[in-house]
Amino acid sequence: MAPLGFIEILDGKGAVIERIPVDSLPIKVGRAYANDVILNDPYVCPLHLAIGPDEQGRLIARDLSSVNGLRGDNGEERVSSLEIHSGSQFHVGHTRLRYCSVDHPLSPTLVDRDGGKSRLRSPYVAAAAVAAIFTLLCLDAYLTTVDRATVAAIVTEPLTTFAMLLVWAGLWALASRIIVSRFHFPEHAVVACGAIVGFFVLGASSEWTEFFFPSIPIIWIAGLFGSGMILAALVYGHLKFATALRRRSRFWAALSVSVAMAGVSAITDFASRSKFSNVMDFTGIVKPIDGGLLPTITVDQFIDRSRKLKTDLDALAHKARATQP
Amino acid sequence: MGRRRRVGWRLAIMKKYISGAALLFVLVLAVLPPRCLAAQASGATTQDIFKQFSEHVVKIEVVETGSAAKASVGTGFYASGAGHIVTNYHVVSKLIHTPDRYRIDVIDGSGQPSQAAVLGVDVVYDLAVLRTSKRPKGYLTLESKTVEQGTRLYSLGHPRDLGLTIVEGTYNGLLKHSLYPKVHFTGSLNPGMSGGPTMTHAGRVVGVNVATEGEQISYLVPAERVMVLLERTADVKEPAAKTFLAEVGRQIHANQARYLSGMFLNNTPTVTLGPYSLPTKPADFFRCWADALRRKELPYVAVTHDCSTDDYLFVSSEQSSGIVRFYHQMLSTGELNPLQFYTLYSGQFQAGNSAAFGNEEEVTRFRCQTRNVQTQTGKLKAVLCARQYVKLPGLYDAAFRVATIGARNVGLVTTLSLSGASFDNVQLLTRRYMESVKWHR
Repeated sequence: MAPLGFIEILDGKGAVIERIPVDSLPIKVGRAYANDVILNDPYVCPLHLAIGPDEQGRLIARDLSSVNGLRGDNGEERVSSLEIHSGSQFHVGHTRLRYCSVDHPLSPTLVDRDGGKSRLRSPYVAAAAVAAIFTLLCLDAYLTTVDRATVAAIVTEPLTTFAMLLVWAGLWALASRIIVSRFHFPEHAVVACGAIVGFFVLGASSEWTEFFFPSIPIIWIAGLFGSGMILAALVYGHLKFATALRRRSRFWAALSVSVAMAGVSAITDFASRSKFSNVMDFTGIVKPIDGGLLPTITVDQFIDRSRKLKTDLDALAHKARATQP
Repeated sequence: MGRRRRVGWRLAIMKKYISGAALLFVLVLAVLPPRCLAAQASGATTQDIFKQFSEHVVKIEVVETGSAAKASVGTGFYASGAGHIVTNYHVVSKLIHTPDRYRIDVIDGSGQPSQAAVLGVDVVYDLAVLRTSKRPKGYLTLESKTVEQGTRLYSLGHPRDLGLTIVEGTYNGLLKHSLYPKVHFTGSLNPGMSGGPTMTHAGRVVGVNVATEGEQISYLVPAERVMVLLERTADVKEPAAKTFLAEVGRQIHANQARYLSGMFLNNTPTVTLGPYSLPTKPADFFRCWADALRRKELPYVAVTHDCSTDDYLFVSSEQSSGIVRFYHQMLSTGELNPLQFYTLYSGQFQAGNSAAFGNEEEVTRFRCQTRNVQTQTGKLKAVLCARQYVKLPGLYDAAFRVATIGARNVGLVTTLSLSGASFDNVQLLTRRYMESVKWHR
C-alpha cells in the first residue's frame, strides 16, 4: 500500500534528517517504541502527540498532555491542537517536524550542465592552469632580471614558487581528505593558480597606476582592498572543495579571514609609518613608455605643492618639540 | 674619501683606540729625531716651548651633573687676562644642547677644576669662548700676520686624556677647496686635542685644533676667526646657557642663506653623460668624482658623477649639517629589453634611500612628494623628501631625486641632497636643479 504522506524530522536549518512514511491515520508520535514516529529527544514525552483526521476530515495534530507541549510553525506558542496541511511544520520538545502528503508539490529539477562534476575537477584544466602559471612566473622572472641571466637562473625562482604552490594545494587536499573524504587536489591547485594570477595582475596594475598617478594617496588602500578580495576568493575556493559548508558560510568565512589579514596588514603598515626612521621613501616607479601619454605637472606646480610637505613637517616637528622635556 | 674626524674625545671610544694609540706612539717615535733637529734649528727647543706655554693651556671636561662623571674631554687655552678660554664648539656641544644635564670644568696645570660658563659660540667655524672666575697667570696671543708655508708649528692638547702633550708639525697654508677657511696642519692631532692651540715657536697661536684625517693630515680653525669671536664676546656677561641652542640655529640659518642662494644658477658648469647635460662643480668648495661600471658580465653600463662639499658643520654628536651633495647616475644598455631595463632603472631610482644619521630627538621623519613633472626638455619622475630639525626650527634636511622618462634603453637618476637648509632654499635649489637637468633625444 502506498503511503499517505511522510513525517519529516528537520535539522535547525530545515534540512531533512529523517523521513518516516505515514501508511494510515491516526499516528502516534513520542519517545516510546510503541509510537509510529519515534523521536530520540529527551524533551519529548513517551507519548507526546497524535495526528489524525477530525469529523470534518481536517488533519489535526493533538497534544497528548505532554510536559513540553506542541508548538506551531513559529515554535513559540504552545497549542493543544493544530491543523496541519501538506508542508506544515510544528515543534515537539527540541525537534522540528514537517508533514508532507505524497502529492506535495516539488521545485523544478535543476539542469546539471557539468555532468555532476565541477569543471575544475578535470585534471586537464588543472594541468593547463599549472602550466600557464609556470609560464607566467618564468616570463615575469625573465622580464625582471637585469643580469645576463641563464635559463637555469631564470627558472629557479618560478620553480620555487611553483613548488610552494603544489605544497599549498597538497595541504588543502589533505584537509579535504580528512573533512569530506576526497582529496580534490586538482581543484585546489586551480584555486591557488587563480590567486597567483590575481596577485600578479594586482601588482602590475598598481605599479602602472602608481607610475601614471603618483600623487594618488589611496593606491595603497586600493592595493590592500584588492589583496583582501583575492585572499577571500582563495579561501572561498578552497573551502568549497575542502568542506561541506554552504555558500553563505563559505562567504562569511572567506570574508572574515580576509578582513582579519587586511586588518593586521593595515595595523603593521600604520605602525611602521608612524615609527621614526631615517629612510627616505623614494617610491617612484618608472616604466618604459613614450612620455606623451604621461600626465604631468609643471615645475612651478611641483614647487608650489611642496608647501604641503613643509606644513606636514612643521606639524611633525611641533609635535616632537611638545613631547620633549 | 674619508670624512674628517673631529678631535673630540669620547669615553666610549677610548677603549677601542687604546691599541691604536700604542701603534701611533711607535710611529711618532720613529719620525721624531729629524723633527727635533728642525726645532733646534729655529732657536727654541720643543722643551722650551712646552715649558713656557703649557700653563696657558687647560683641559676642558664636560661633566654629567647627575653622576658627576665626565662625558667628554677636550682642550682650551687662555686668550685674555680676564679668563677668556678658547676651545671648539664641539667640545662643549653637549652643554649647549642639554644645559640642565651638564657643566663645564676647566682644569689648569695645578689640577684644580674650576667651573666655566659659555660666553659665545661659532658653530660654523666650530669655536666657543668660555670664561672662568679664576684669573690666569698668563695667556696666549693670536698670530695676525700670515705665516709662511713650511713654518714649524707646535700643537698642545690632551690626546685621549693622556695628559698635556706637545706635537710638532708644519704649516701648509689654507685649504683651497673649502667652504670655510681652514689651516692645513701637517702633524698628528688626536681626539682630546680639540680646542687646543697650535702656535709658532714664539707662542703666537696660528689656529685652533679642530679635525684630523689621519696620516698627519690635520686641520686648524684660523686665528682670525678666533679673533672675531673673542671680539664679539669681550664684553659679554654670561648669557643663559639655554639661549645658545637658538643662537646655533640662527648661525646655521645665516650660513646656509649665504652659501646656498647662489648655487645652481645658469652659469653652473655642466658635464655630459650620454644624451644628458648635467650640472657639475657649482662652486670651488665642491669636489667632484666620476666613475663608470662596465663589466663583461653585466648587460648594462652605469656611469656616475658625484659632487660634494667637504665641510660639514658639527651640530651635536648625533647630528651633522651643511653638506650639499649631488649624484648623477646614467644607465644604458644595448642588450636588455625595455621592460628589463626599466626594472633596473626603477630599482636604481628607489635605491640607497636612507640618511646616514639622525634620531628622533634631533629630526622628524622624512616626508616625500612624488610627481611626474614636465620640464623644458622632457618629462621627469621627481621625488622630494624632507625632514625638519626638531631642536633647530626652520632647518631641514632634504633630498631631491629625478629620473628621466621616455627613452627605452637609457636613463638618468640624479639626486641632490641638502642638510641644514631653510625650506625656501630647499625649494629654490630643487627648482634650479630640476631645470638644470637637460637632455636631447
